[in-house]
Amino acid sequence: MSAADVNAGPARRPFTGRRVRFGDVSLQVVAGAAALGATVLVGLIVWKLVDGSHLALSKFGLGFVTRVAWNPVIGHELYGAGSFIFGTVITSLFALLLAAPLAIGVALFLTELAPRTLRAPVTALVETLAAVPSVLLGLWGILVLGPALRTHVEPWLHSALGFIPLFGPPSTAGASIFTAIVVLAIMILPIVSSISRELFLGVPSELKEGALALGTTRWEMVRGVVFPYARGGVVAALILGLGRALGEAIAVTQVIGGGVFIHWSLFSGGDTLGSKIAESYQGASTNLQSSALIYLGLILLVLSLAANIAAQWIVRKVARKHGVTRGGHA
Amino acid sequence: MSAHGLSGPGLRLDRLPRRRRINHVMESLAWLAAAVAVAILGVVVWSIARKGSSELNLDLLTKPPIPFSLTNAPQGLSNAFAGTLVIVGLATAMALPVGILVAVYLNEFATPAIRTSVGLVLDVLAGVPAIVIGIFVFVLLVEGSGQSALKGAFALAILMLPFVARTTIEVLALVPNSLREASLGLGIPHWRTTLSIVLPRAVGGILTGTVLAVARVAGETAPLLFTSSLAGTQTSWNPTHALQTVPVAIFELSESADPKDHARAWAAGFILLLFILFAGLTARWLATRNARKVAGR
Amino acid sequence: MPRIGTSIRIVSAFAAAALLAVVVAGTADAQAARHATTLSGAGSTFVAPLVSQWIAPIGAAYGIELQYSAIGSGGGVAAITSRTVDFGASDAPLTPDQFSACKGCVQIPWALGATSVMYNLPGVKNLLHMDGPTLAKIFSGQIAKWNDPAIAKLNKGVSLPSTAITIAHRSDNSGTTFNLTDYLSSVSKSWATRYGRGVAVGWPVGVGGKGSSGVAGIVSSTPGAIGYADVAYALQSHLKYFAMKNNSGKFTTPGSRGILAAASSDQKPAADNSLSIVNPPKKYGNAYPISTFTYVIAPLQSSKAADLKHFLFWAVTKGQTGPYTAKLRFVPLPKSVLVVAEKAIAKIHS
Repeated sequence: MSAADVNAGPARRPFTGRRVRFGDVSLQVVAGAAALGATVLVGLIVWKLVDGSHLALSKFGLGFVTRVAWNPVIGHELYGAGSFIFGTVITSLFALLLAAPLAIGVALFLTELAPRTLRAPVTALVETLAAVPSVLLGLWGILVLGPALRTHVEPWLHSALGFIPLFGPPSTAGASIFTAIVVLAIMILPIVSSISRELFLGVPSELKEGALALGTTRWEMVRGVVFPYARGGVVAALILGLGRALGEAIAVTQVIGGGVFIHWSLFSGGDTLGSKIAESYQGASTNLQSSALIYLGLILLVLSLAANIAAQWIVRKVARKHGVTRGGHA
Repeated sequence: MSAHGLSGPGLRLDRLPRRRRINHVMESLAWLAAAVAVAILGVVVWSIARKGSSELNLDLLTKPPIPFSLTNAPQGLSNAFAGTLVIVGLATAMALPVGILVAVYLNEFATPAIRTSVGLVLDVLAGVPAIVIGIFVFVLLVEGSGQSALKGAFALAILMLPFVARTTIEVLALVPNSLREASLGLGIPHWRTTLSIVLPRAVGGILTGTVLAVARVAGETAPLLFTSSLAGTQTSWNPTHALQTVPVAIFELSESADPKDHARAWAAGFILLLFILFAGLTARWLATRNARKVAGR
Repeated sequence: MPRIGTSIRIVSAFAAAALLAVVVAGTADAQAARHATTLSGAGSTFVAPLVSQWIAPIGAAYGIELQYSAIGSGGGVAAITSRTVDFGASDAPLTPDQFSACKGCVQIPWALGATSVMYNLPGVKNLLHMDGPTLAKIFSGQIAKWNDPAIAKLNKGVSLPSTAITIAHRSDNSGTTFNLTDYLSSVSKSWATRYGRGVAVGWPVGVGGKGSSGVAGIVSSTPGAIGYADVAYALQSHLKYFAMKNNSGKFTTPGSRGILAAASSDQKPAADNSLSIVNPPKKYGNAYPISTFTYVIAPLQSSKAADLKHFLFWAVTKGQTGPYTAKLRFVPLPKSVLVVAEKAIAKIHS
């Protein structure tokens, strides 16, 4: 390319500053098509799901969402998402309850308390766990965690706290809602911990040092400076962890035991939206059943999107407050 | 900045012993939380490593599985490893160009309004659970026409797309505008500038993002259950057929009653985990080399 | 052109080479595949052990690569209906609705076997006695402990522990479930009215396992568990199973004698080629009451008709012989059923 080419257009056209070249237009069109494609993809996902659940939507309507039933017997088919939504909410919330204090504790430990030698190994451990595929964690849940919980933890919890309906008779097969909660908590922990750690590291050191210089104890500094500063981000991290738990189907279906009815005991079996879909989809024997399963997927999509959008909104609000533009990472 | 509890009577010296005690309790709790978390995570990683490494053998990679084998003939999961290579490879080939193009559009051509909305679209896409993507691709492509590795790769590519696009957007934004302006000033057309000058600068970051995306989808089971699960036992590289993959194989073996099946599942899972860790380390190494180069300039 | 780091060049070159190798291998494989046919099937886990034995000989005899995915009878019917596979397999006969949804499918009996009711009770002998009504009470949760008087009455002289009974049932749509619930419905009126028969029912108690191997897995890892699966799974997992009381009062086991006697109770396939040999009447003294035929569901019109017919003819003749069936406790098809099967296979065309 030489300078002469720049002016090699039709001589009568004055230099307008922006030449429209074929190459520019092509790139813009192709790249724009890709961007449009991504947008269309999201719409297509929603549309195909609504379309696929059409049969169940028209037959059961919105009552499906609250009905506790799943009877695939041909001739008496009746489906409802009630118990699975319950299972999803219970497993995700309890998993978050279990993981959050541990994750935030680890993050605080790594940023404030840990001696230099411990920081790298603990961080490496947390990140290794984030890399474990969910199916492998599920395998571990079936073969190691389930039997261990069944033999040691559940009987102890039942005898100590059996008066609370949550801790009913221990499961006999190791597969239960409780096992699923523990597995999900192990999955969420690295996510919440990594994000929290980054947030705590991002607190300006002048603020922290200023507080310490004023004579606060370290805990008072954390409570007064670090937590308020990072609060929004930590909430977003928790919601992201929740979203991850909501959407997890494979590890949950491996350890949750299965069941259609709502039991209050955590040691009974159950199903979540994801685990029910994973378990039943391949063998759906009627169109109505497939449609009901897609309906479950639609509900799951709505819940996950709600969690994700809530997290993104909080991140943006926090970013605006701190005047910092950070790329939100899931 | 409002600092709770840092002003007023709270800091009086006569309250100091109590405050010190509370601080001590809180620090102990943090240590305890960390210890519990480390113990749990350590147990998980250690038992996976121990069970997985003890069952490793070469047969796993070279021999196909023999379902319901009545003899003790050696068997492995060669079909699953081949299938994973094919499907993940194809998924990368699908997601990479599209992701880069999306990032190029957002960075080089889009108005701020489009940038935010497509950015939102990418975030939404990243939040769709993998099993929902599986249902989607099933309803879109598989129903009525059958499974294939290509359709499985398509499902994985949808999962990879937001990762690749987001990382590429970030590294493209890091390319200094002065470079673009200098190039345009020399008369190089916009498209040439983007392809020959801006993108090569970003290659390091794009590669990092791709490796991370590969690590993310290599272990995905749910989308493949719907698109490439009815597969044969012989090792095949044919993408028009449904191919067995390592995560799906582990999933199926985990529900079996046979301890020998469990052994193969542990070993395959261990190899998968090592691969994902290796990919993560590679990505980190690439990222630091890149950062060093950019800073060193 | 700005420098792209050497490390990045190396990694990119490596990745590109790997991708190229995979693509080349894939195309080469696709070429090769055009000369060998693949027949893919999916469905019943009940018949899966037998079908797996057929893979090698079919490949040797006809060059057909047989693929079978054991995803449960319900899945098999769904898969062949959507033509995701070349043939489906189901232990539960198709309903009229399923036939019409399948659009031109034929149901062909291709194996004969039995569902064993397996249990895990350390220290107690194999082949405990059990009868239909008691089993129905167990599966409906009315009998929850092993030392229940009803079980003790059937097993005088055996010391039964007070372990709780854990039911292991199928979580997926299963022909084996159909077989068991068909039996339970015929021996227990209350089961028939409350839960009925089907590939899936509303199990009141128990843990769900995916596939016959899932159920076998739960039983083998849970002391006190009772589950059900084709007898081949019980044998493979070294699980104990019950001797069931039939209508003549005898306690029979899921072996060739019991299955053959049960099969003689229904020699004439119905119009849709289905047979019912569950809970045979008194005169079949040696019958095992939870036996069943299992079916292959094939499309009447298929692009792979020639290979499909080769495979199915082989399956119902050579595939029924001792080397394949004996160890797994499948019994060769009776002559009258074989004739009907072959007639049905001949109808398949391209």
